[in-house]
Amino acid sequence: MGLTARDVMDTRFHTLKPEDTVADAVRAIQEASRETGQTVFGMMVTDAGGNLLGMLSIYDIFLLLRPKHIHIWGEMEDLEVSGVLEAACRRAKGMLVGDIMTTQVVTITPETHLLLIIDIMIKRHIRRLPVLEHGKIVGMVYFSRVFNHLRDLLSA
Amino acid sequence: MPIIAYQNVLQGLTVQEAMRRQIISLDREAPLEQAVRFCIKYKVNALLITGKNQEALGVVSKTDLMGAFYAGLPSDSACGGVMVGPPLFCLPEETLDAALDTMRRHRVHRLYVRGEDGRTVGVLAYPDIVGILYRYCINCRKSLRLKEGSETLEDNFRVREVMTPEIHANRKDDSLQQVMETLAAYRFGAVLIRDRDGEAVGVVSKTDLILAYKHGVPTEAPARAVMNSPVQAVDASHDLVDALRTMIFADVHRLFVYQDAPGNLVGILSLSDVARFRSGTCRACLVSRIKI
Repeated sequence: MGLTARDVMDTRFHTLKPEDTVADAVRAIQEASRETGQTVFGMMVTDAGGNLLGMLSIYDIFLLLRPKHIHIWGEMEDLEVSGVLEAACRRAKGMLVGDIMTTQVVTITPETHLLLIIDIMIKRHIRRLPVLEHGKIVGMVYFSRVFNHLRDLLSA
Repeated sequence: MPIIAYQNVLQGLTVQEAMRRQIISLDREAPLEQAVRFCIKYKVNALLITGKNQEALGVVSKTDLMGAFYAGLPSDSACGGVMVGPPLFCLPEETLDAALDTMRRHRVHRLYVRGEDGRTVGVLAYPDIVGILYRYCINCRKSLRLKEGSETLEDNFRVREVMTPEIHANRKDDSLQQVMETLAAYRFGAVLIRDRDGEAVGVVSKTDLILAYKHGVPTEAPARAVMNSPVQAVDASHDLVDALRTMIFADVHRLFVYQDAPGNLVGILSLSDVARFRSGTCRACLVSRIKI
């Protein structure tokens, strides 16, 4: 049984461009989810040369949807606001991936040990880690794939 | 006279009841471009700048980022170079009144909250207080929210009674530099943009300007290149609740106000003013004396 990122990483990863809109990103996320058969919650963002620039997660999109002054609206229980979610989505759709992506991305190499990967995931609250070899993206390690890899060891 | 005790609904409320625990911070070496991204992403007006050991060194606000744009600083310059420091602090157990007083004296809209061990544990921004005030005032027996003779909120205040009858505008061919000068001179968050015939065609906010900075737009570019259209506006004769709904739908905290015809803009309406009036906050409250 393999012990490093190479053994659990998914080599069929998808990427976004910084100039993609949120609507483009959501379509790509849907497409990737269909292809891989599991829900994708985040994607890498790369430049034209394929270099990793950042990550976009669904959490980043949620941040966009939340109204800036939610702590004032939240107090106004008597305010009727049907359609507000649609309006928030309309506004978010046109935002650019490059303006909201996370750039402080923790990366690993194919040789990173599984226990070290688990440690990073726990400490940094990260569920997906890009795998770089000599600066080039070679795969992604997901929380679920690490667990699936260890499942037999943990249950047998 | 015991009545004085009622005059301030904030009495007894402490900073920790209104503060936010999520502090958006950046290292002093982080580029300004990242500060812009954080302001957009987390929808905050300012970021805490920290040193190597996470110690709070200063603050970079949208105004500071706009200043860096105006001054022609490259957007990969370090935040430490433009931050204003040290940050102003209050304590979790301090009263909101005391915190507001500090804000007013220093003409700032936010204070960071320092915990017992000296670490930064929260941030208190003026809108946080407006939110909590709403909850208290709407239940206050001294509340002014129901005008004499009216029974419901619906026939309460109109937009024109709450707006500020003052508008600052630039022309759509004015440069971003000129727009920033207007913003700086009047301490406003946004400037109205008019075309050559004086018609209101858009708005440029600090957020639009710092995004332009990140995207490499030159300060000589015309206002029309980055302005938001159409102008979000509300009828002066409408109820406050209509204005509130428009604000929440557009995710803005200010609206322009028109009278008689949509083109005839006569004032500006801020969310904090609306919230204060709607909840019936009296002028007696200290909170009503600070402007956002």
